[in-house]
Amino acid sequence: MDNRRKTAGKQILDEIEGDENTILIRRTLRSGQKFHYSGNVVVMGDVNPGAEVVATGNIIVMGQIRGMVHAGAEGDESAMVMAFRLQPTQLRIANHITRPPDDEVADSSVPEMARIKNGVVTIESYPAKA
Amino acid sequence: MGEVIVVTSGKGGVGKTTTTANLGTGLAQLGYKVALVDADIGLRNLDVVLGLENRIVYDITDVTGGHCRLRQALIKDKRYEGLFLLPAAQTKDKTAVSPDQMKALCEDLSQEFDYVIIDCPAGIEQGFRNAIAGAHRAIVVTTPEVSAVRDADRIIGLLEAAELRDPKLIINRVRHKMVAAGDMMSIDDIIDILAVDLLGVVPEDEMVIITTNRGEAVIQDDRSRSGMAFRNIVRRITGEQVPLLPLEEGGLFSKLRRLMGFK
Ligand SMILES: Nc1ncnc2c1ncn2[C@@H]1O[C@H](COP(=O)(O)OP(=O)(O)OP(=O)(O)O)[C@@H](O)[C@H]1O
Ligand SMILES: [Mg+2]
Repeated sequence: MDNRRKTAGKQILDEIEGDENTILIRRTLRSGQKFHYSGNVVVMGDVNPGAEVVATGNIIVMGQIRGMVHAGAEGDESAMVMAFRLQPTQLRIANHITRPPDDEVADSSVPEMARIKNGVVTIESYPAKA
Repeated sequence: MGEVIVVTSGKGGVGKTTTTANLGTGLAQLGYKVALVDADIGLRNLDVVLGLENRIVYDITDVTGGHCRLRQALIKDKRYEGLFLLPAAQTKDKTAVSPDQMKALCEDLSQEFDYVIIDCPAGIEQGFRNAIAGAHRAIVVTTPEVSAVRDADRIIGLLEAAELRDPKLIINRVRHKMVAAGDMMSIDDIIDILAVDLLGVVPEDEMVIITTNRGEAVIQDDRSRSGMAFRNIVRRITGEQVPLLPLEEGGLFSKLRRLMGFK
C-alpha cells in the first residue's frame, strides 16, 4: 500500500504543486475591488470589469474574467490563468502584458487557459483540443 | 415597522431622483404612507421634481441638528395624502449629517411610514455613506451605458461590504431600437455583469422630462410607457409578482433574466 502510493506520487509529482499558498474567494470581484495574494488564487465567481486580481502564482476563475488579472506577478513565467470565460480587459503573466485586440470581439464560450509559450502569452481552450 | 429603501447609482444623472419621486408617488397612489428623504445635501432637487420647493421651511440638517422636530420638517405632498418629503439642505455641506444621525432619522421615520425612500447623491463619498446608513434595502439605478454599469457594479460591491445585500436593479433610459440595432447594451448584457435581480426596465421617454418640468411624476400619466414601467416596479416593491412587459423587454428574449419581487 505504502509502496504503491510512493510510486504513484513519483509519477505525478511534477503536476502537484504543494509548496505555494492557495486562497479561495467565494464571490464575484466587482469594479474597484482589488485582490493581491502571494500564492495561487481561485475565484468562485466572476472578475468584473474594473476589478483586479494579482497573484504570484496561478489564477483560476470559476466564472468570467472581464477585469485585469496578473499571474506570476513576481516574475514566474510558468504561471497560468484559467477561466470559464476569458475576456480580460488586460491579462499579465510575469512581465508580459497582453490585451484583447481592439477590433475583434472575442466571444469565448469554452474554458480557456493563458500561459507563456515560446516567450509569448498564448490562449488556448481548456482542456486542450486533441 | 416600515421599510427603508435607498435609491443609489454611483454615476450621476442616471435617474435616482426621478425614480425616487415616481416610486414615492406610486406607493402613495396605492394608499401607503411614504416618506421621501432627499439625502443629496448641497444639491437638493427632489423638492423641485415634486413641485414642493416653495413649501420648504426646515430641512434635514435642521432635524439632525435639533433645530426643529421631524414632524415640522416633513412637507406634505400636494396631491397624495400619504406622501411626505424631508428636503435636503441647499446651503450646508455634505458632512452636516453623520451616518449615525441618518440611522436614527430613518428609524424614527420607519415608525410612522410604510416606506421610507432615500434619494442618494451620486458618487461613493460621505454623502453616499450617509444615505445608505439607515437603509434596509437598496435599489441601484443604471442606464445601458458601459460607464454607468461599471459604477453600478462598484456601488453593488460597496453595498455588499456595508451588509446591504441583494440590491435590486432598475435599468433606466433604455432605447429598444438602439438595443435591437446592437448600438446599446441589452438588459441581458447588463444582468450578466451585475448578477443582481432586476426590478424593472424604464424606457427613454420624453414624458419624463415634460412631467418633471411641471413638478409631477410620470407615473401619474396613465398613457406613458415610462409611467407604466414605474407602476410595475411599484407593484414589485410591494411584493407582487409582475412579469416584465414586452415593452420592457423590447421584444428580446431573455436567457438569463432573474426577475424577482422585492421581498
Ligand atoms: N426614462 C427617462 N427618459 C427620459 N429622461 C429621463 C429618464 N429618466 C431620467 N431622465 C432625465 O434625466 C435627467 C437626470 O435624471 P435625475 O435627476 O433623476 O438623475 P439623478 O441620478 O438623480 O442625478 P444626480 O446624480 O445629479 O442626482 C433629468 O433631466 C431627468 O428628467
Ligand atoms: Mg438626483
